[in-house]
Amino acid sequence: MTDTTLKSAVTPARIGRHRLGLIALGLVLAALFVTPVVIGDEFVYHIFITICIFAALSTAWNIVGGYAGQLSLGHAIFYGIGAYAGVILVNMGISPWIGMFAGAAVAVVAAVVVSYPCFRLHGPFFALATIAFLEVFRVLALHFRELTGGATGLMIPLKIGWEWMVFRERLPALIIAFGMLLVCLGVAWAIRSRRLGFHLIATRERESAARAAGVGTVKVRLFAVAVSAALSAMVGTFHAMYLTFIEPSSMFSLQLSIQIAMFALIGGIGTVWGPLLGAVLLVPITEFARGALGAEAIGLHGFVYGVVLMLVVLFMPNGIMGVLARFASGRKEAAGDEPDTHIAAVARTDVAPQIGDPVLRVEGLQKHFGGLHVTNDVSFTLREGEILGLIGPNGAGKTTVFNMLSGFLKPDQGSVTLLGPDGEWHEPGNPGDFAALGLGRTFQIVQPFAAMTVEENIMVGAFHRYHAVSDAREAARETAHRMGLGRYLQDEANSLTVGGLKRLEVARVMAMKPRVLLLDEVMAGINRTDVKRAVDLMLSIRETGVSIIAIEHVMQAVMALSDRVVVLSSGEIIAQGDPQEVVRDPHVIEAYLGKEFADA
Amino acid sequence: MLEVRNVDAGYGSTVILQDVSLRVEEGEVVTIVGANGAGKTTTLRTVSGLVTPKTGGVFFEGEEISKLQPHDVVDRGITLIPEGRQLFPDMSVRENLLMGAHRRDARGVRSETLEEVLGLFPRLGERLDQHASSLSGGEQQMVAIARGMMARPRLLMFDEPSLGLAPIIVEQVFDVISKVAASGMTVLIVEQNVWHTLKAADRGYVLENGEMVLDDAADALIENDHVRQAYLGI
Amino acid sequence: MQTFLQIIANGLMLGGLFAIIAVGLTLIFGIVKVVNFAHGEFLMVGMYLTYLLTTGIGVHPYATAAAVVPILFVFGAVTQRLLIQPLMHARDEHIQIFATVGLSTALMNLALLIFGADIANTPNHGLRSQIHLGPVRILEGQLWIFLAAILLVTGLQLFLARTNTGRAIRATAQNRAAARLMGINDRFIYVLTFGIGAACVGFGSALIAPLYPTSPTIGTYFVLIAFVIVVLGGLGSIPGAFFGALIIGLVDALSGFYIGSDLREAVVFGIFLVILILKPSGLFGTRVSQSHVSP
Repeated sequence: MTDTTLKSAVTPARIGRHRLGLIALGLVLAALFVTPVVIGDEFVYHIFITICIFAALSTAWNIVGGYAGQLSLGHAIFYGIGAYAGVILVNMGISPWIGMFAGAAVAVVAAVVVSYPCFRLHGPFFALATIAFLEVFRVLALHFRELTGGATGLMIPLKIGWEWMVFRERLPALIIAFGMLLVCLGVAWAIRSRRLGFHLIATRERESAARAAGVGTVKVRLFAVAVSAALSAMVGTFHAMYLTFIEPSSMFSLQLSIQIAMFALIGGIGTVWGPLLGAVLLVPITEFARGALGAEAIGLHGFVYGVVLMLVVLFMPNGIMGVLARFASGRKEAAGDEPDTHIAAVARTDVAPQIGDPVLRVEGLQKHFGGLHVTNDVSFTLREGEILGLIGPNGAGKTTVFNMLSGFLKPDQGSVTLLGPDGEWHEPGNPGDFAALGLGRTFQIVQPFAAMTVEENIMVGAFHRYHAVSDAREAARETAHRMGLGRYLQDEANSLTVGGLKRLEVARVMAMKPRVLLLDEVMAGINRTDVKRAVDLMLSIRETGVSIIAIEHVMQAVMALSDRVVVLSSGEIIAQGDPQEVVRDPHVIEAYLGKEFADA
Repeated sequence: MLEVRNVDAGYGSTVILQDVSLRVEEGEVVTIVGANGAGKTTTLRTVSGLVTPKTGGVFFEGEEISKLQPHDVVDRGITLIPEGRQLFPDMSVRENLLMGAHRRDARGVRSETLEEVLGLFPRLGERLDQHASSLSGGEQQMVAIARGMMARPRLLMFDEPSLGLAPIIVEQVFDVISKVAASGMTVLIVEQNVWHTLKAADRGYVLENGEMVLDDAADALIENDHVRQAYLGI
Repeated sequence: MQTFLQIIANGLMLGGLFAIIAVGLTLIFGIVKVVNFAHGEFLMVGMYLTYLLTTGIGVHPYATAAAVVPILFVFGAVTQRLLIQPLMHARDEHIQIFATVGLSTALMNLALLIFGADIANTPNHGLRSQIHLGPVRILEGQLWIFLAAILLVTGLQLFLARTNTGRAIRATAQNRAAARLMGINDRFIYVLTFGIGAACVGFGSALIAPLYPTSPTIGTYFVLIAFVIVVLGGLGSIPGAFFGALIIGLVDALSGFYIGSDLREAVVFGIFLVILILKPSGLFGTRVSQSHVSP
């Protein structure tokens, strides 16, 4: 079987690299804790505690800024909330160990309230909105003096001991900071390696494709923001205790927010360990400049940060982790590529397909864009086990119809009803509902999740059925082999050819085990052998009982595949029925080749 | 005048054109026909410098132009009228037309060119001060063609000029293209509407899945079953 | 009534000052489609240049514009060419944000390193003297800034509308692909636009320096306000930036008096958030960025 050769070929090298990485990581972490203890110097302790705090903040930021791709430059809001909650409660005699959770709770509420309306903003606008929120928080913290002490700030009472998080020696503080770093790393790692992580990255890379795969894109992002805010607040509480004094301009600080994000970018945005590396490399510069050079060098560390940041975006946009990964993959190639496994042939039976009862009803769809009437009274029915070809010249409105059949567009009039697994007819309203009822779709312009491997791409689809990573991986591998993608499992999705990407698109949907499949031009731009393979693939999919609607321009394929075709022209159905008859219909020839051709 | 020699081209790692060659002689009207996704637009984009060929070369009047930036290609005298019209939406029709004459050789004589072009498109004369986005689809296509002519190109390329237009407007667009061709302009045109283009052209190439499979006189292609097959699968 | 008029006058004068900073930002934002987080630091650099020139050779601060404007133009053009241009095709737009944030951080701290955290006072040559306009009193320098803002906005608008280069800039912003097909060198246009945007803020800094003490962090405050104005006025709209600036100036002055001077910023940023979330095309935005349904 191809499966076994593949696994044995791929995994050892991968595991070897993985293990090496983990060992290196363990060493970095151990050094973070051991070095100051061994040296025993106050200042060294301080530097390492600060590294832990910033690494923890940056790791927490990365859950939102990296995994979810929402570039927050206002993360100091949550840090500041944690700090104020801690100090205010300590002044009321409540331990920061409790205040920490109170702060986290407030931060979660703030995060959800702040983020929800901002999710519709993209790129720089999201960043600007988070900065604006941060400014508002800072101004409010300055204003409400009774609570926050205003510009004069707040001191903590001198109560020493573990329950107050305040110590005479440095070691206990290091233990707490290090512990917090471990918690943040643990949470970040857990998210990244589970379903949620896949959902977040899929949402970041291609929101529509993620929605089509049944991902609740808003829900997962809100969850990420909440977790990130809670962690940041908890670190904030501890840091306040460590600093013993807080004031609005240093707590709700734009500079701090930028630094947190900067460490993640420099280390490797969106990677689990990148933020840690960024902080380990950069924090000492600050602290050294501050401690050793004093007032002489005010601004030096910031200048270095800025320059490093510019150099990193220009020359290593994937950060240190990106460079390390390139190094690792270079070695892999040197060690020899995996053996070429053959694409699993699709077994075909020549049994005439069984076409059953209707599974999807499209009735009287109307859609206008501005003054344009793009869909005019489109009605048809898809039956179980049927392949329905949806054809028509460019601009006929085929993709618009698909968008209405999958919940991405609401029709102005008319309805799309789908037979659910429960035997009832449903009228779903959004992509998630359609996916839940077993409808899967591909996109005309392929939408691979670029930052993921082929396997991970397909797993996003498989997570529709499975919760556990191992199950999803299993299902993804099985699907990949069936789609002839077996040998590419560990490759970056972007490295595939067009034909490969089209197959990946289908594979991702197939991993959802849909009952109804909408294929949008999966054959466009692929070569002839790939077309043949795609035809065989679609026939084999149909044999598993899936009903298919395919938009296709490659007419030979449409003719070979379709049980029935629907011809759309200028938003209207101009013919439907048996493929051979339809292409001889004068209306159809006219729509495709011009009126005179039809008469010729 | 224009020669595309054994070009492989595509986007990123994606190869769309494979070993594509074609020639356009001065004063000729040449068309490339082929189904959607066959690579027609990519061919035009390669000529205009928007896509750099991976292998092979593009030559214009004997000089290689495949490494030039799009604006340099325009300066040499090749203008592409892009698919989907691509007007400047917030500019008036007049400004759109003036933008067409940005090319060095055209800028100095743009008032004269404007007069000439408006002679061909009398309807646009009445719309000069309207915003381009307020025009109908057909009128926008006319502006796009007129804007292309404002560059006083030596070779004018059309990408799907009839796309998304009502049949009666398609007729008008092809009337204009015929007039342009009759004025002695060298034209390379890519079209879905096979009948109309082949009627307007001298010669044609058939592009299938990124490869040139056929070239012949336009009249002969109309009779050729291969063309029907490529589009309709019969 | 007297107080109210005075507040309105203060707001308008402040608005003129904001306008002169925001115009360059909206130009870069609208044309190059890059959010220049370092715009405030461009202002800071310009103000230090004015400070150095006035204190060094003793010229009138306004005269320094002759040097500051071209220097800032080159500065902006080089930023575009060396920092932004290589990132124009970055798959991830965060990269561009980080690039300008990096530039901003580096410049601000470089100033700290050179000039220290103390403020630098540019000689004001009588520009801080009060003049009476009917019932209200304003500073002479403020009036000049206001008039200069009108001049700058009108000049830029005419440049964009009437000249070949201006039209090419607008064409590139509206449809870059088509602009390239017209023979426009889009890279040159971007470099030029970034240069002009920076030159505008250079012009502003020569006017602002005599009234406001210069410090390394002066840019941060102004740039945030400028972003508010740019979004309020509609991205890339020069008149939008002007009227947006007047509105924010008035809001600032009125809320400072009626709500509390420490809450002015909260009001301004609150308005910003509401606009950003509810009407991202801005109050004067004609070009509605179609958030089209993905295919």
